[in-house]
Amino acid sequence: MDISIIAWFVFLTPLIGFPVSYFAGHVRRNLSGIVASASIAISFALSFALYLGYTSPVESSISWFYSFSYGVYVDPLSISMALMVSFVSLMIHLFAIYYMGKDPNRHVYFAETSLFTAGMLGLVLSSNLLEFFLFWEIVGLCSYLLIGFWFFKPNAASAAKKAFIVTRVGDMAFIIGLAILYSTLVSYFPDPLNIQFLVTHAPEVMAAIGQTNLYIVLFLFLGGAIGKSSQFPLHVWIPDAMEGPTTVSALIHAATMVTAGIYLIARLYPLYYVSGTDTLYVLAIIGSFTALFAGLLGLVVNDIKRILAYSTISQLGYMMSALGFYSVIQGSAVGFAMYHLFVHAFFKAMLFMAAGAIILTLMDLRDVRKMGGLWKRMPVTVSIMFVGVLTLAAIFPTAGYFSKDSIISASYLYMTASGQWYQSLPWLFLTIGSFLTAAYTFRMFFLVALGKPRSDLASHAKDPPLISLAPLMVLAALSAGYGLFQADFLNYLGGSYSISVPLGIEYLPMTLALIAILITYLLYAGERWKHLDLHRSRAYRVLKNKFYMDRLYTNVIAERAILPLSSAFSSAEERYNAGVEKLGRKTLDFGTFLRKLQSGVLESYFTLIILSSAVVFILAIVLGVI
Amino acid sequence: MLIFNGLGIIQFFLPEFILSIAGFLMLAMGIVTGSKKLYSTITMASLALSFIVELSFINASATVFNGSIIVNNFGTYFSLLFMISAMLISVPSMLNISRKPEIFYALLLFVTTGMLVAASSSNLIILFVSFEAVSTGTYVMSGFHKTDRTLEAATKYFFTGAVSTAIIVMGLSYYFEATGTFSLVSPVVTSAQAMLVAMILLVIGFGFKLAIFPMHQWAIDTYDGSENSVSAFLSTGSKLVAFMIMMRVFISGFIGESYDYYLIFTILAIVTMTYGNLSALSQTNLKRLLAYSSVAQAGYLILVFSATGYAQSTSISTTFVYDAIAAGMIYSLVYIFMKGGAFLAMNLSPNARVELSDISGLARKSPSLALAFSILLLSLAGIPFTGGFVSKLFLFLVLIEVKLWWLAVIAILNSAVSVFYYLRVILVMYRGKPSSELVVSRSASIPIIASAIVIVGLGIYFAIFQTLVGIAGGLFG
Repeated sequence: MDISIIAWFVFLTPLIGFPVSYFAGHVRRNLSGIVASASIAISFALSFALYLGYTSPVESSISWFYSFSYGVYVDPLSISMALMVSFVSLMIHLFAIYYMGKDPNRHVYFAETSLFTAGMLGLVLSSNLLEFFLFWEIVGLCSYLLIGFWFFKPNAASAAKKAFIVTRVGDMAFIIGLAILYSTLVSYFPDPLNIQFLVTHAPEVMAAIGQTNLYIVLFLFLGGAIGKSSQFPLHVWIPDAMEGPTTVSALIHAATMVTAGIYLIARLYPLYYVSGTDTLYVLAIIGSFTALFAGLLGLVVNDIKRILAYSTISQLGYMMSALGFYSVIQGSAVGFAMYHLFVHAFFKAMLFMAAGAIILTLMDLRDVRKMGGLWKRMPVTVSIMFVGVLTLAAIFPTAGYFSKDSIISASYLYMTASGQWYQSLPWLFLTIGSFLTAAYTFRMFFLVALGKPRSDLASHAKDPPLISLAPLMVLAALSAGYGLFQADFLNYLGGSYSISVPLGIEYLPMTLALIAILITYLLYAGERWKHLDLHRSRAYRVLKNKFYMDRLYTNVIAERAILPLSSAFSSAEERYNAGVEKLGRKTLDFGTFLRKLQSGVLESYFTLIILSSAVVFILAIVLGVI
Repeated sequence: MLIFNGLGIIQFFLPEFILSIAGFLMLAMGIVTGSKKLYSTITMASLALSFIVELSFINASATVFNGSIIVNNFGTYFSLLFMISAMLISVPSMLNISRKPEIFYALLLFVTTGMLVAASSSNLIILFVSFEAVSTGTYVMSGFHKTDRTLEAATKYFFTGAVSTAIIVMGLSYYFEATGTFSLVSPVVTSAQAMLVAMILLVIGFGFKLAIFPMHQWAIDTYDGSENSVSAFLSTGSKLVAFMIMMRVFISGFIGESYDYYLIFTILAIVTMTYGNLSALSQTNLKRLLAYSSVAQAGYLILVFSATGYAQSTSISTTFVYDAIAAGMIYSLVYIFMKGGAFLAMNLSPNARVELSDISGLARKSPSLALAFSILLLSLAGIPFTGGFVSKLFLFLVLIEVKLWWLAVIAILNSAVSVFYYLRVILVMYRGKPSSELVVSRSASIPIIASAIVIVGLGIYFAIFQTLVGIAGGLFG
């Protein structure tokens, strides 16, 4: 059997699961989670079958309209991503059966997450960029719906709106890029947005549309990726998106959807590297700057989920920057980024779910300052979390060490490969970033786990049932041990693993991380942090206000620029509308006048006819035809 | 495939024979019984029988009586259409006749016979006589129900008909003066002036039946005043006869003066469709609204002549002429169902004057009927996935093909205006409070739903257009 058929069903199964789980939930609420999980389990099994049966890239597509087709494209990149998405989604669905167990609308939740998983898998396996964009929008829609799942909370509703609008800026760039790419290529090639074609014929594409056009297209695509993967400057939506259920944060805003932007660039990577070093440098600098920037912000946040959100932004920055180091690690850049994406998906989903378990037992208390001493009260959950934070801080021998430090090593090579000062920035940012990562991570962890309970709720916390933590344990095991498979993973994606940097550089990030852990231990394991008076310091205020980015967007751009513009447009439109209405009224009046000509008197009818024919004849005579 | 070959040329008149024999039979039976059901069944059966016989003429071609009768696919197509339009009203007519049904049904069959003769003739005299047969029959039909309203309608119809007959006869004599023949097949023009006079007179004369501006005024009163099924027949079968005859007369008979008739018809088309659509806008009497809409539709129909006239005179390409004829043919087919069905939907109101408020809230009382009527109205407005869209699409495409794109723009703007009043009717059906007067009976609803199904079918399956292009040449004999 052709494996492309399996690929179709990888995303069709959860798509079928979407209505089925909804209606099953109407019969019995608890059924919907089981149906959704089962559909995703099948999808995971099919992805695995795809992995086993894979021999060479397969594309199977159907003509859609004009020069567009839709279908599936199976290659190592899409198989690995599909495996990860279906696996992590399965784990999170299983945990959600416990986590969402008491919500009266859980059938809606499971239907939406099934649809989301279908959309994500469809995106991964798309054979055409337009189809890719369609799924991209479906996951965006699901993200909106799920962030606002508790829409009765005003924060959730406005966070959903914010996420939707901010990602829309990126989506706009993406579709404009698609339009330019299509219109410039359509006269040369039969199916210009076919991914396989674009990937295998990158030089021809560049020759056909020219380097400048390709730059524009790739930057617009990058804009889409920045919006979706929440990179600077469109990173503002993820922290607010934490208003949704925690399992949603784990699924969408940590493991899968936010990685779609990285995947887009990895998917079209040949286009990026043939376009020249400038585009690649932009990837490296945006990624590394985001890694540093989000790490800084993470230091001062007190909401447990928001800390994880900033860490997600920061880790996505690492992946993005890895894609920029093509000049030193060649095709392995995709492998490096994808490997970190995998590891991050495992530990971040697990960290979010652990945080979810804590939040659930603390009755929706999310402020880390009010926790404390939970290791004693929730030993299993917090131990799992400990594995997660070690991985996030990239401490040997967790998988995070392998995935992140190889990116930093690559950035070191990138710096030394050329003498330009600006090429050293990524390494600098990423290295400081690794210090910050450990700092904010362990600040959070020590506040949560050690010390004495600082609230009544925290002193009564207890572990959820062990069975519900099983998915977390699986993910914890992967986070800890997946480092063993790094070389295999890179080989599978067609890269090779051979980076040698000076020993000091290699261990520098981990040393910094250990120092950070030590400092945070001293400060936060006990009560010492309470004596820190940070509020006066200017740096703290700047960080607390997120570098005033949100204020820039809302108060300056939206209120000063876009609102006046929009009211100007709307008043112009009102005037136009009034004109149209007037036209309509006049037309109606004219119609009424014409209707009144219909007198019902036969003689006048004939008079009209005779007169009209007389006019015709006179005209004919005057014109001289008769 | 001819199945009655043994009959020689007589076989081509079998449908006419069947219909007229059935008509006389019913007149005779009228002495014995007055059962409406019986007569409507006989009518339906005889129409079905002759329909089947007519189907056997597909792909046959013959010239009978020195070329005055020409059997080909073009004529056969229109014969089938006319029989369909008669069949469409034969059942719902039961609702409208109170007495002597045998006479009404016999008249229907005689009129249909006249139509069938007209469909296969290329001779002006035969066309004229058969056209008169149709007209005379329909005068009686429209006044059959002797109330003040119908009598007024019939009187107006009759007088205008008489005037139009006079003008047609005058036009025919000028035609003979100019060409020395009544045959429409490649006439040789000896006097261009006489030909032009003939053209103007014939436009006026036939324009009456087609109800194009300014010869339309009787139509509003007559469609409004006649019984619903008669209005349906007048605005479909009887109108399409006039249209078919006009196609023969102008496209084939005036082939040398095509630029002149292009001018006349273009002006008339613009005025007619604009007038019809604008007048319908503020109309609250539903039947008059449909009457105005059928004036507007006549405006669209005669766009065919603009296209053929322009294509012939500028000799762009003969294939465009065939395309235009085929567009007119498909429009006729769709028109029977959408207009006939819409007029038959008036049977849902018990009143003689059907107001818009009478069908208010139909959707609550009978969702399927409301949907069917909505489909018919959407089709009249030319909304996609209905036959009306397809027929308008081909018509406008033809206009663009012959480079009359500005005319296509005017026609499209007109369709846009028409959407307003059609949608208003739909809005009333779906949003209005249910009116207590709605009558939902089986014989009223079956033709409406059937028409709606056909309309949707034609909207999806429009490959028939290519077939019609192939047989359009039959118009020239």
